[in-house]
Amino acid sequence: NYPLYIRSVPTENELKFHYTVHTSLDVVDEKISAMGKALVDQRELYLGLLYPTEDYKVYGYVTNSKVKFVMVVDSSNTALRDNEIRSMFRKLHNSYTDIMCNPFYNPGDRIHSRAFDNMVNSMMMQV
Amino acid sequence: DSHLFWQSRELFVLTYGALVAQLCKDYEKDEDVNTCLDRMGYGIGVRLIDDFLARSAVKKCRSYSETADMIAQVAFKMYLGVTPSVSCSSAAGNQFSLILDKNPLVDFVEELPAERASLCYCNLLCGVIRGALEMVHLAAEVTFLQDKLRGDAVTEIGITFLRKAEDRKHKRN
Repeated sequence: NYPLYIRSVPTENELKFHYTVHTSLDVVDEKISAMGKALVDQRELYLGLLYPTEDYKVYGYVTNSKVKFVMVVDSSNTALRDNEIRSMFRKLHNSYTDIMCNPFYNPGDRIHSRAFDNMVNSMMMQV
Repeated sequence: DSHLFWQSRELFVLTYGALVAQLCKDYEKDEDVNTCLDRMGYGIGVRLIDDFLARSAVKKCRSYSETADMIAQVAFKMYLGVTPSVSCSSAAGNQFSLILDKNPLVDFVEELPAERASLCYCNLLCGVIRGALEMVHLAAEVTFLQDKLRGDAVTEIGITFLRKAEDRKHKRN
């Protein structure tokens, strides 16, 4: 359960973000086991708001291949709607599958991809 | 024809990628991987030509220029779904350059790994063209003159038609 890719903006509180993300993994696992059989048919699991903290809202998304995406958003950002979050996760998922298709990428490696960086950057700029 | 290609395109592109990745594990030097790809391509080309001739039902090419056009506009289109542009690069009329704007084989390869800087990722294509031409009695040298994956501005395949052995015999008479 180590991160393949982690990016935050602004970068001062990076360690705090790392911590937030790591603790949210437990919530993700809880949610997955809670959903159980009901969602065995669905290809993707948008987990929605995992938990709100003092300053942040944390959203989760997990694929059938057990790859977890976690998004931490400033609580003050109330403009961000649920469907926007969903589409961001979808973009992340699509970019991730592109990386998986790179013959030189070994599953489990950290992700070093300019295309992925650009996509993440542009998403974070929009928020 | 090209519609059928698109249905299995991802599997094909991923298979090619797996092939190159495996060769990279088998051979330490880039040149060895490149040579292997070329040889494999050659084996494919000598067989593919019959499929191509049967499916395209084209007339015999009367010049090197027609042959180069055929490769770019019919063969590439049929097998890869793309049409490189062709230009003649020698006054003698035996050297041609194919510029590939799009290349499905490299769709998922963002860039070459740092330790594989001289890898000619698509070298299989050179072997295919060379093998196919040989089966229609045209000897040619085919190489990648430029490669976007290696940092060049464009991806360019150079085809140089060589004098056939029969021509030389003819001249002696």
